[in-house]
Amino acid sequence: MDLKMEDFNAPHSMGTTIIGVTYNGGVVLGADSRTSTGVYVANRASDKITQLTDNVYLCRSGSAADSQTVSDYVRYFLHQHTIQLGQPATVKVAANLVRLLSYNNKNFLQTGMIVGGWDKYEGGKIYGVPLGGTIIEQPFAIGGSGSSYLYGFFDQAWKEGMTEEEAEQLVVKAVSLAIARDGASGGVVRTVTINSEGVSRKFYPGDTLPLWHEELEPQNSLLDMMNVASPEPMNM
Amino acid sequence: MTKQHPAWSPYDNNGGTCVAIAGADYCVTAADTRMSTGYSILSRDYSKIIKLADKCVMASSGFQADVKALQKLLAARHLIYQHQHNKQMSCPAMGQLLSNTLYYKRFFPYYSFNVLGGLDNEGKGCVYTYDAVGSYERVGYSSQGSGSTLIMPFLDNQLKSPSPLLLPAQDAVTPLSEAEAVDLVKTCFASATERDIYTGDKLEIVVLNKDGIHREYMELRKD
Amino acid sequence: MSNSAIDVPSRGGFSFDLCRRNDMLAKKGVNLPSFRKTGTTIVGLIFQDGVILGADTRATEGPIVCDKNCEKIHYMAPNIYCCGAGTAADTEAVTDMVSSQLQLHRYHTGRESRVVTALTLLKKHLFNYQGYVQAALVLGGVDCTGPHLHTIYPHGSTDTLPFATMGSGSLAAMAMFESKYKEGLTKDEGIQLVVDAICSGIFNDLGSGSNVDVCVITKGHKEYLRNHLLPNPRTFVNAKGYSFPKKTEVLLTKITPLRERVEVVEGGDAMEE
Repeated sequence: MDLKMEDFNAPHSMGTTIIGVTYNGGVVLGADSRTSTGVYVANRASDKITQLTDNVYLCRSGSAADSQTVSDYVRYFLHQHTIQLGQPATVKVAANLVRLLSYNNKNFLQTGMIVGGWDKYEGGKIYGVPLGGTIIEQPFAIGGSGSSYLYGFFDQAWKEGMTEEEAEQLVVKAVSLAIARDGASGGVVRTVTINSEGVSRKFYPGDTLPLWHEELEPQNSLLDMMNVASPEPMNM
Repeated sequence: MTKQHPAWSPYDNNGGTCVAIAGADYCVTAADTRMSTGYSILSRDYSKIIKLADKCVMASSGFQADVKALQKLLAARHLIYQHQHNKQMSCPAMGQLLSNTLYYKRFFPYYSFNVLGGLDNEGKGCVYTYDAVGSYERVGYSSQGSGSTLIMPFLDNQLKSPSPLLLPAQDAVTPLSEAEAVDLVKTCFASATERDIYTGDKLEIVVLNKDGIHREYMELRKD
Repeated sequence: MSNSAIDVPSRGGFSFDLCRRNDMLAKKGVNLPSFRKTGTTIVGLIFQDGVILGADTRATEGPIVCDKNCEKIHYMAPNIYCCGAGTAADTEAVTDMVSSQLQLHRYHTGRESRVVTALTLLKKHLFNYQGYVQAALVLGGVDCTGPHLHTIYPHGSTDTLPFATMGSGSLAAMAMFESKYKEGLTKDEGIQLVVDAICSGIFNDLGSGSNVDVCVITKGHKEYLRNHLLPNPRTFVNAKGYSFPKKTEVLLTKITPLRERVEVVEGGDAMEE
């Protein structure tokens, strides 16, 4: 493997797995925590689930710079909107602002996002805003490079009217499956659950995630791996 | 964003600097021992100087794989020479052989920058300096490699040589004593290491004189 | 209708007028001059009382070292400092500009600057220029909300981390942090780890070298330790020294005063207003 300086000058890209799932009463958002420049992991504990308002969150994928800028603008607009309205913004308004920026600046942006949240009018809602500025209201949405490993899984595993626990377990399982297969996803799993009660964040360390199909156990150091099965001296 | 793959190249540059100075009855050949690629150090203790014959050493920088191939070929050619003539090759003969060997690969060159140091048939110091395709010249002193642009002007200032066009031909050897020449080489490398990122770690100095061959080392900056 | 273009006075910022010409020249094989790059190791970490920043002091132009002892830890505010890697001119310009904006902001508000303010100003500028302002930064400081450490990439993305490295030596330095960093380091442990990380860059990355600069920022106090460690002294000095006797050759010593060749009229008519 060769590390070239071009890797460091390359824009920061989040080869990512991001997920948003609705359940009975709210939504669960999930993401891995890897940010890479080329083949170098620039941040192994990043937070790709960004807060927009008290009740709306955003999962970011693609260029880190672009998605941070979009979310900064949307947060700013929503704060103004909330003050003018005198009540929390709806998920639909938040998603539409994300779409507006994505669509109007589509030639300059390389970012796909998932907006998720809860409001008193429509309950838990998930909106996918992929690359060109399309907006789709969905029961669940997946995004990022890791999502290609998950379409079949979600078609099979997602059920209408899940409980909070079922939805959260589904998200964690899905992200850990994508981490296992997608080299650009990794680190830990972060989830955000939003419902009428409020918001709760959860964090699943990389060494507590389930292992899939001959996956190796996480090690603190590669040197530790050598001690796991110390080779027996050969007998002649 | 489309990722572009750079065209593959058969060459690399492993850096390094070589210097040789000829005196009336000695020859000092020196090189640093750093081998690097890009911004990485591959080795801090890799010798660039090899002994080709009893009175002839070669210091080479450039691409290590080509240098290694060149050294192997010269060693083989020298072995054949010894079997055919039952004697060691002289330094001027080795100088011509090196030139021919380099020119033989004129259109797929050895990416190596060499200086040859030794004693000629009269026991006088001689230095031959080369480009990668075999153009060569007998001089009083020379420098090749990544730090040569820093060292060469200093040597020109300290050891100005007579024009090779003068008639009758004048001696190119420097007027310094052996100890002075060794100190000059040490200064050259200590200074080049300050400013050239591909030069450093350790300096290897090989002195050839009437007593034979003698090696010494000096530490250089390791950053 | 015929000529609707109007010359608008320039509003500051960069001029891109010559970009097309330069592209054309580059295609014809005229290479741009090389920039002074700080092929660099810069690091930062959070310890129990605040933030420690570290940097090497080598600046290079291609394979040549053009400054053996430059300063890469830039002042942003009394409680905020910023390490810069990339094109030296860009890191210098961008940190100077933002530090002046912060100063004005302090005059306006009468409060201590916050690290997030510096972060937002820096990322806004860098994002605007889409990566063409080549500055990779490690920003650290202590404000009323506690200690903060951020990294900022040339394209304008930012990270918030307990320990961070940047520049060509970032891999060497990060190896040190990943193996030795823990939460709640003391000041001495923190400085030692920063020095180890910078030294790892200095000795293993050819783009980094010379000395170690350290900056310790705690609540209401800072310590800028310029050249905290000098691990690369010169290895050889000739006891006798050298003389450089050759000087420019004198071709002519005769002086021709020009005054004699021309007629100088003193006190001529004043120019018309």
